[in-house]
Amino acid sequence: MSFIKFDNVSFSYRDCKPVIKKAKFDICRGDFVALVGPNGSGKTTLGKLVMGILKADRGKIYIDGSDVKNMSLGQVGKKIGYLFQNPEVQIFALTVEEELSFAMRIKNIPDDTINDRVKKVLEYLGLSHQLHSPTYNLSYGEKQRLAIAGILVNEPDFIILDEPTTGLDVIRENMLIKILKSFLTRGIGLMVISHDIFFIKKFTGRILKIYGGEIFEQVSG
Amino acid sequence: MNRFLAKTDVRTKLAVVICLSGIAVFIQHIYVLGAILIITILCAVLSGVSLLKSIRSTKRLWYLFFAIVVIQSMFLRRGEAILSVRNFTILTSGGILMGMEFLLRVSIVLFSATIIVTSNYREIIQGLIQLKIPYDIAFMVSVAIRFLPLLHDEIKDALTAIQLRGIEINKIPFKKRLRVYSYIFMPVLSGAIRKAQTLSMAMETRAFRAYPVRTSYLVLKFSAKDYIIIVLSFIFTAAVFVSYYVFNFPGRVLCDYFQ
Repeated sequence: MSFIKFDNVSFSYRDCKPVIKKAKFDICRGDFVALVGPNGSGKTTLGKLVMGILKADRGKIYIDGSDVKNMSLGQVGKKIGYLFQNPEVQIFALTVEEELSFAMRIKNIPDDTINDRVKKVLEYLGLSHQLHSPTYNLSYGEKQRLAIAGILVNEPDFIILDEPTTGLDVIRENMLIKILKSFLTRGIGLMVISHDIFFIKKFTGRILKIYGGEIFEQVSG
Repeated sequence: MNRFLAKTDVRTKLAVVICLSGIAVFIQHIYVLGAILIITILCAVLSGVSLLKSIRSTKRLWYLFFAIVVIQSMFLRRGEAILSVRNFTILTSGGILMGMEFLLRVSIVLFSATIIVTSNYREIIQGLIQLKIPYDIAFMVSVAIRFLPLLHDEIKDALTAIQLRGIEINKIPFKKRLRVYSYIFMPVLSGAIRKAQTLSMAMETRAFRAYPVRTSYLVLKFSAKDYIIIVLSFIFTAAVFVSYYVFNFPGRVLCDYFQ
């Protein structure tokens, strides 16, 4: 059974030409899917449609069998993590520890579980030494890993990353590739929205190309 | 007749807004305020303002105003008691009157502000400069006008991002919801500081304030219609103030209002 399903989805911004035209595809749990296309082709729009940030004009989007239209952002967020193009927009707290724990505290998760999850995620992403550091002192690469950590503590089944290589040097990019590959081995599915074809080619999976509002399954990487 | 005020000089619109807001601030009379609100709405419509759109875009502000009206009505004990439980008075006629006056006052200020927005931001800045307001201050106003919608979008994005952390904002208790809102200010504030730094650098590289005198491609000119509207606005405002403060017209709505 598909985890994300697009069923003849069309979308256009107010008074504009359609950005997405009758998109129809399925993504299974644990899949790697790259969404490529030129600037302004609707890649980010498609990602936002999956997350329920934007609502489709026509057609239906299903996540794990449920229609996104009937789900709150919080419900979608529990199943799919979303990394914004600019990680700074999703860093909310003053310290790294608080950043990773505040959402769980609001959800009444016990302190022991919170501490355990925070410790594991920070170790996994190589940020353990920054546990008590102020978030605004982190480098761009560290902020991006912190944003990914914020997603991972929620233990999502799938992660969507919007242009994750923007602003990263070669070393940080390689580090990100290593992290993303380890997600795939753990069974976490990935959708990477990018126009960086060299980055995409480091992964094995499907490539969806979006052009003129239509989606083409291009090649298998 | 339709959109009669739309093509007028921005300084004329500013004069109309100052007159209407001035009456709203200094006159404490529900009938006068009601009449001024009708005039303000009429001016806004003649300026091409879409009332429904304005109300929709300030929807949350109206909720706040209504909440203030209710609280004010409950805590102000003047006039006759309208609703009381045993010896405890909950609502008084003076309280309701003051609450209604507050609502009318803020409505006048809000609707009159929409008249200014019918001019583009470049015209507003030029209007301020030609009113001899220093360019630095006029520029700050232009930055505020340009960046306020962006700030609004950033707050919306931050709220979306925080919900995507798996927080179902409508299902958590009010106290926790307030905590969630407090977290939103961190990315919004850091984003605003970052934008201000970038903007200041961009301005320096384009030689902002390099010369004491600036020339402008856009120069505003008053037409006969502008002069007539300005003169009529000031005469009307003066007439309202004189009749209210000198001739005490119209009289007080409640006799024991300020006792």
